[in-house]
Amino acid sequence: MFSTYPGQAVIDHPVSAPIEHRFDPYVDNGGTLLSIAGNDFCVVAADTRQSEGYSINSRYVPKSVKLSDKTVISMGGCYADCLTLTKRIQQSMEWYHHAHGKVMSTAAVAQMLSIMLYQKRFFPFYSWCILGGLDEEGKGAVYTYDPVGSYERETCRCAGSASSLIQPFLDNQINFKNQESRQRTLTKDEVLRITKDSFTSATERDIYTGDYLEIFVITNTGVEVQKIDLKKD
Amino acid sequence: MDSLVAKYSNSASTSFDTEDSLNNNSGGWDAASQFALPSFDIPLVANPVDFLRAHTDPSAENRIRIQHGTTTLAFKFQGGIVVAVDSRASGGSYIASQTVKKVIEINPYLLGTMAGGAADCQYWERELGRRCRLYELRNKERISVAAASKILSNMVYDYKGMGLSMGTMITGWDKTGPQLFYVDSDGSRLRGEKFSVGSGSTFAYGVLDTGYDYNLSVPDAIELGRRAIYHATHRDAYSGGSINIFHVKESGWSFEGNYDVGALHWEYQALPKGPIA
Amino acid sequence: MDHFPTNWGNPRSEDVDSYNTYPISSHIGKVPHSVTQIAGYGHTTGHPTSHTLQPVVTGTSVLGIKFKGGVMMAADNLASYGSLARFRDVERLHQVADFTVLGASGDISDYQYVKHLIDSQMIKEYNADDGHTLATPNIYEYLWRVMYNRRSKMNPLWNTFVLGGVHQGKSFLGAIDLKGTPYQAPSIATGFGSHLAQPILRKELETRGGEDNITEEQAVEILKKSMKVLWYRDARSMNKFQLAKITAEGVTISEPMSVETEWAFAEKIRGYGA
Repeated sequence: MFSTYPGQAVIDHPVSAPIEHRFDPYVDNGGTLLSIAGNDFCVVAADTRQSEGYSINSRYVPKSVKLSDKTVISMGGCYADCLTLTKRIQQSMEWYHHAHGKVMSTAAVAQMLSIMLYQKRFFPFYSWCILGGLDEEGKGAVYTYDPVGSYERETCRCAGSASSLIQPFLDNQINFKNQESRQRTLTKDEVLRITKDSFTSATERDIYTGDYLEIFVITNTGVEVQKIDLKKD
Repeated sequence: MDSLVAKYSNSASTSFDTEDSLNNNSGGWDAASQFALPSFDIPLVANPVDFLRAHTDPSAENRIRIQHGTTTLAFKFQGGIVVAVDSRASGGSYIASQTVKKVIEINPYLLGTMAGGAADCQYWERELGRRCRLYELRNKERISVAAASKILSNMVYDYKGMGLSMGTMITGWDKTGPQLFYVDSDGSRLRGEKFSVGSGSTFAYGVLDTGYDYNLSVPDAIELGRRAIYHATHRDAYSGGSINIFHVKESGWSFEGNYDVGALHWEYQALPKGPIA
Repeated sequence: MDHFPTNWGNPRSEDVDSYNTYPISSHIGKVPHSVTQIAGYGHTTGHPTSHTLQPVVTGTSVLGIKFKGGVMMAADNLASYGSLARFRDVERLHQVADFTVLGASGDISDYQYVKHLIDSQMIKEYNADDGHTLATPNIYEYLWRVMYNRRSKMNPLWNTFVLGGVHQGKSFLGAIDLKGTPYQAPSIATGFGSHLAQPILRKELETRGGEDNITEEQAVEILKKSMKVLWYRDARSMNKFQLAKITAEGVTISEPMSVETEWAFAEKIRGYGA
């Protein structure tokens, strides 16, 4: 029934063939994440709500994971895919550590993640990834990805369900887009303030964002984690 | 032996799934061989192409939005090749990024451009870079642009019809001088003097064809490339951000600057208007 | 090339396969980059392999709530066949380890299969005789991998499982659905219960000031109240259910019980009773 000799146009929704009713393997579990790179620090933040449709599964399911003293990964989208991907990264990093006797650098993790995502080009991980950390020079680095692995280093990025609410705000406040004022580098406290404002505001307007905000601050002394309340409605 | 017997004596009644292989979803991935030749997971459905279409379609419930890149151009002239691109990536109607690097530096003598799926271009041009390096190590000389572009073309042709989308220009300078090829995921590979790829390409071609002359000086050629991309970003919604310009010469490529189109617009507006020369 | 960006990255129009690439399995061998897993074709027929696309015999909600010192779970004893209350004595709470209970909603045969899988795994661990047993988080992780791998094979186990337990002095309550989505929370309710019972459970936790302020007796009362609400409004539920208690002392799964209900109000509602 599937003729494949050259020249023949195969239109195969034939009457006799069974039509495959397909299971949808994806679910959008919502949530918002962002990362901002500073001069000598990096902030990775995400809310902790996990949703399925209009139901909240849990108010505390962390989206970010510390991968090393210099790298934190945050993911949103289909939580099952995200968690699987996170575990794969962690396993690879451990193998790398055993093989090379050193911890994988942020840039190396970034390139590896791109390839891991692309290996599922035809059955993608439904995940929005942001990798935050410090580069080899100790400068803040943010790497952002699309679901099939195209990536780019940026200074700040928001992804997930409230990304279109927060990203324009970050463009203005972090990159000083469309502002007359001169560009300047922001301090850690300023960045944390902007991060918190972003999430409290997104919580007001996005049903998939809320409950708690978990912030990872990466500096050359290690990774610090803060947990802050967001509205639970 | 037992495993051979098991392999060929498969019958429906004995193939009870024991869930032993818990890493089956990972496409035979194992940490030791992860840097070997690429392999891809395919969904276990009758038609994987349909599957991908269903989940990337704008009407899909949980839509996977793949980022797209947009206006790119490259042309040969007496001073080598000018490559100019915009920097916008969109996922659906959302501008996913205004700072995309659409010129991919394959190695110091080869450049590739990005139009189509951002990941497809990045991944395959990186793979191309790896293979070009292997060629260099094996043959003790740099690969020709023709050969490099053909490797790329052949690689993506294997996946034809499965949803890859890549419209790229491979440029460089080899023994035969400056070379420019257009390669896409449908299998086309064309040698040419002047190409523009992407949704803003028609606008860019208009400017390019009007102002093009083989004998253009280097600064004039760079300005022509910049102007062509600027006009494309102005009229094409999928193009924008800033312009990146590269110049390919005998000593390899050089970066010729990044220009924000927001500022560029007013610069061009201030210039005196006149009839097309 | 198609120059219009919205068409990029997607396979082409499904009406015409102009490149004759279907079925993809004809690519095997031709593709040098080893497409490692190929379409779910029956090897000889060329027909799509059929998988479970809907549950058949089903169980409704499973509830779980943490309390001071442990976890309490509830599920009724009904297995429905569509709208038919087919089996009325099915146990949907299963002790899988000394301090772990598995509760299942959704397809009963898939649940029995998973029960078999986990029990086999536990026996394997026991036979190793190395002094280790799988604790609740380990079983949870295993169950998650099973569920995620089945969904990745496009052949899901049509269940939502709830796993309750106690590990290292802390109570554990987690759920996993057919798409492999895992989550842990102080209270969990699956299926219809996520709409009807979860709000009650969350309110009790909130007003009493969290799991550490709920006693075992209160947890029983809260679950009984929730099961009653479900019996009133969930047409696939039954007023015969079991409770499972998991504490540091171990697991107790109760005999089937029922709650007192009041239907006299129905007399006064038009179209409800007589």
